[in-house]
Amino acid sequence: MNGFAAWLQSTALSRIIVQYPWIWPLCEIIHFIGLTLVIGIAGFFDLRLMGFMRRVPVAAARDLMPLAIAGFLMNLTTGATFFVGKPDQYVNNLAWWAKVFCLVLAGLNAMIFETTIGVRTMALGAGDDTPNAAKIVGAVSLASWLGVLYWGRMLPFIGNAF
Amino acid sequence: MTGVTAWLEGSALGVWTRESPSIWAYPTILTLHTIGLGVLVGANAIIDFRLLGFAPRLPLPSLSPLYRFMWAGFAINAVTGVLLFVSSATTKARQPVFYVKLALIALALAITAAIRAFTTRDGLPGGAGADPVPPRTTRLAVLSLIVWTGAIVAGRLMAYL
Repeated sequence: MNGFAAWLQSTALSRIIVQYPWIWPLCEIIHFIGLTLVIGIAGFFDLRLMGFMRRVPVAAARDLMPLAIAGFLMNLTTGATFFVGKPDQYVNNLAWWAKVFCLVLAGLNAMIFETTIGVRTMALGAGDDTPNAAKIVGAVSLASWLGVLYWGRMLPFIGNAF
Repeated sequence: MTGVTAWLEGSALGVWTRESPSIWAYPTILTLHTIGLGVLVGANAIIDFRLLGFAPRLPLPSLSPLYRFMWAGFAINAVTGVLLFVSSATTKARQPVFYVKLALIALALAITAAIRAFTTRDGLPGGAGADPVPPRTTRLAVLSLIVWTGAIVAGRLMAYL
C-alpha cells in the first residue's frame, strides 16, 4: 500500500493537486456541501425507514434520493482528489480505513435493502409503520453515514491528515 | 473587543477546548458542529428542493417535523460554535470571514422562518404534485439554498483565510 501511495504521489495529477493552493480549500468546500446533502437527504429516508415521520409516504421520501446521490458523487470526486494529492497521509491512517469501512457498510446495506425488502417497503404510504427489517436497514444506514462523517472529521486528530 | 476575546481565550473553558488532549474535547466539538450543520442545512435543503418542484409526491405538511430537526441542529451548532469561538477567540474575532458567516446564518434563519410562515399560511396541500407553490415562496427557496450554502463556504474558509 505504501508503494502504491508513493507511485500515486509521483504522478503529474498528484503534483497538480498540491501545487495550486486553492484546489484543496475548494474541494473541502464542495466536500462539506456534498456531506450536507448525504446526511440531510439520506438521513431523512433512513429516519422514515426507522418509523419516524410517518406522514411521509416512503416512496415520496425516496424521490429525493437523486440529490443524496449527487452529494455522494461530489464527495467521491473531491475525496479522490484529496487521496491522489496526499495518498501517504491516508493509507497509514486508521481513521481513513475506518471511514472506508463505514462507506462499504453503507453501500452493502443499501444493496441488501434494494435486493430484498426494497420494493415492499416502497409501497408503504402515509401513516404506515415500517417492518422491523426496514427499521434495521434504516438504523444501519444512518449509523454508517454518521460513522463516515465521524471518521472523516477524525482524520487530522487520529492520523495527522488534514 | 480584544480584552474580551483574550479573556475568553484564557478562560478555563477556552484552555480546555483548545489544549485538552482528550478526544472528547476539540475533535468531538468539531465533529458535533459538522453533524449539526448536516442536520440543519440538510433539513432546510429538503424543504427548499420540495418547494422548487423536486419530489412532488412528497406532501409539504408531512415535512413539518423537519423544523424540529433544524432547531436541534441549530442548538448543537450554537453551543459547539461558541466553544470553538472561545478556543481561539482573538484569532476568530479578527477574521472578516467569521462575521460574513454570522451574517449569512442570521439571514438564512430569517429566510427559513419566512418560508415556514408562508407555507403554513398558504396551507399548501402537497400530495400528487397538485400544489402550485407561489413564486415568492420559490424565490425564497432559491435564496435559502444560496445563503445556507454561503454560510458553509464561509465556515470552511475560516480554516484557510
